[in-house]
Amino acid sequence: MKRTAIYLALGMVLALLVAACGGGGSSSSEPIKVGAIFDLTGPTGDVGTPYADGVRGYVDWLNAKGGIDGRQIDLKWQDYQYKVDTAEQLYSQYVSEGIVAFMGWGTGDTEALRTRITEDKIPFMSASYSEALTNPADTPYNFVVATSYSDQMRIALKWISENYSGRAEIAVFHHDSPFGLSPVADGAAYIQSKGLDMGYADYAMPGGATDYLAELTKAKAQGVTHIIVQNVSSPAALLARDVKGQGLDVTMICLNWCADEGFVNLAGDAAEGVMGVLPWASVQSDDPGFKAPSEFLKSQGKTLTDEGLHYTQGWYTMAVMAQAIKNVVDAGDDVTGPAIKSALESISNFDTGGVSVPIGFSKTSHKGMAGAGIYKVENGVWTRVISEMTP
Amino acid sequence: MATGIYHTKYSQDLALRQTKADWIRLSVLLVFLGVVPFVASSYWLTILNMVGIAAIGAIGLNILTGFTGLISLGQGGFLAVGAYTAGILIARLHWPTPLGIAAAVLVTAAVGAVIGLPAVRLKGLYLAIATLAAQVIIIYVVRTWDVVTGGVESLVVPRPVAFKTEIRSEFIWYWIILALVVLATLAALNLFRTGLGRSFVAIRDQDIAADVIGVTVWKYKLWSFAISSGFVGLAGALLASYRSIVTWERFTFDVSITYLAMIIVGGLGSVAGAIYGAGFMTVVPALIQRAGQSIQGVLPALSQQLPAIQLGVFGLVIILFLIFEPRGLARIWERIRDYFRLWPFRY
Repeated sequence: MKRTAIYLALGMVLALLVAACGGGGSSSSEPIKVGAIFDLTGPTGDVGTPYADGVRGYVDWLNAKGGIDGRQIDLKWQDYQYKVDTAEQLYSQYVSEGIVAFMGWGTGDTEALRTRITEDKIPFMSASYSEALTNPADTPYNFVVATSYSDQMRIALKWISENYSGRAEIAVFHHDSPFGLSPVADGAAYIQSKGLDMGYADYAMPGGATDYLAELTKAKAQGVTHIIVQNVSSPAALLARDVKGQGLDVTMICLNWCADEGFVNLAGDAAEGVMGVLPWASVQSDDPGFKAPSEFLKSQGKTLTDEGLHYTQGWYTMAVMAQAIKNVVDAGDDVTGPAIKSALESISNFDTGGVSVPIGFSKTSHKGMAGAGIYKVENGVWTRVISEMTP
Repeated sequence: MATGIYHTKYSQDLALRQTKADWIRLSVLLVFLGVVPFVASSYWLTILNMVGIAAIGAIGLNILTGFTGLISLGQGGFLAVGAYTAGILIARLHWPTPLGIAAAVLVTAAVGAVIGLPAVRLKGLYLAIATLAAQVIIIYVVRTWDVVTGGVESLVVPRPVAFKTEIRSEFIWYWIILALVVLATLAALNLFRTGLGRSFVAIRDQDIAADVIGVTVWKYKLWSFAISSGFVGLAGALLASYRSIVTWERFTFDVSITYLAMIIVGGLGSVAGAIYGAGFMTVVPALIQRAGQSIQGVLPALSQQLPAIQLGVFGLVIILFLIFEPRGLARIWERIRDYFRLWPFRY
């Protein structure tokens, strides 16, 4: 009896040892865990939902094709309703579950998480294109997969300087938040550094406003010739209607978060002639990069026209992250945050098939795109005027 | 079996814990708090740390609303004052973290007293709106006073340093936050054994009667605002140091409402209740989220509706508490305790 007990104990120790050895290394067929937070039902849910669909769509598409060299991407996601606390909570949860990369969303949560991601060494991409996130010396694990808001502003100013004779008076209408204010000071600095003959003033667009007549009156007194809008589509559409209603002879230029299908639908006739600085092409543009998401959506019984340009924005943001992970896997390295960061910094010319300008990062810059396209609303469609313009 | 509490000395009367059962419960709690960080994952430690910080803030709000009867919708603003004061002193003026946090407590208390000035004349809904205005004004100042707060850019706060090492791990933060929660709890419990605390309660129960018996109502209302804000300032300063980033989006009106919900669910006018409420309001959403994640693959349609369900559950819980137990979790706990103390008798 005593001997049986000893054999049993030895057997158990052996079994435990074997189990321990088996669990130590990561198997090459294990899924690669990526965390994500989306705003589906919060204040930015209107653009957050197609973006989230794009990220998830790309992962489903890639997994259906066999994943990354046979390894599936396990995307852990949740709607965080644009709440910073919830974002932090979900981030901590996903990190404890072993994620190696993270797809964020808003400016507030991206800012709030930036110290944590640096300490945890988790590469992070979000839809916040603040220039403050592009310097690896300050934020080594943040990657901005688009033209920064400040560059979009510089591009808009450059376009105005090249396409308007006389002294332009610029009124920047912006969302009253860090997102809205992000490019304002950089725009003023750009005018000064380039010695442009422009007037420049900014006007905060109060949230929940039913009209912007008061702000427009001030802009009129300024002698406004151009209005640059750094806001999301619905307030921008309201502004466009007010501009038309007041009969103002100004050119309106939307930066990326208001230059979308939602703006055109909401503004109606008032959208005609409005210009846009778009890092991500309108889905009506006939670029080869639209083929894959379009076919994937077709297989789901949907169309890219219904989803809009934010879908491809999410799709290709995730595609860049997946490419970096693939590069790590192909190199035979362990898929870890630092390895993905290095791989991202080696991506220099990621081709999105015309959906955006080529995307690339370096060890000294995490600014994914240097330029953006210039578009104009013609017959209710964002139509490309210039395919690439750099500041 | 103890049939009653018979004190023979005044010191026994003054003790915070009076029966053996009290001491046993406290020991069990201390053992639990001592063991938890060694077995909990980093995720759960994060949640516990957030509960701790929320508990300090909720104790502060409970001093004002639960004990003095002055409703406040400006909690988010006071948290912001604490966070930005600590953040600016630590990051810009390079003050040591403990000093920065201590200064934040004092500054928030001062700001609280100033914002509490309308409370001298107002109460009820009118005061609620006045404090709501304070919330809006504070956040406006934070967002636009670029030179001091950094405005739109968030403020990066250096990690505290001890023994030449930066304090980063959730494990160490757990002990720091726990120590401060204990300190805040003891301070609040003792506050209501002093004349000051009793004046607060007298004002809450009937301000005219309090005035008649010699309580200078306006003075003690301001004291209540100051002390309450001091606690909230501590919570804000801890948040700044623990998260090492201060962004105004963390201190919105939603936060003020969440804190009010914490003290309603936990128990108005109960220090322990504030802690229960902070735990409830932090842990339950996390649990709902985790439940949501586990059903994501099985019931994708339901998981899409999760945030709505979460909000609905929250609303329902608050309504149910208001109807069935307005004195919150603290009162439920008291009833359970009394049941076992008196068993097998009903009372």
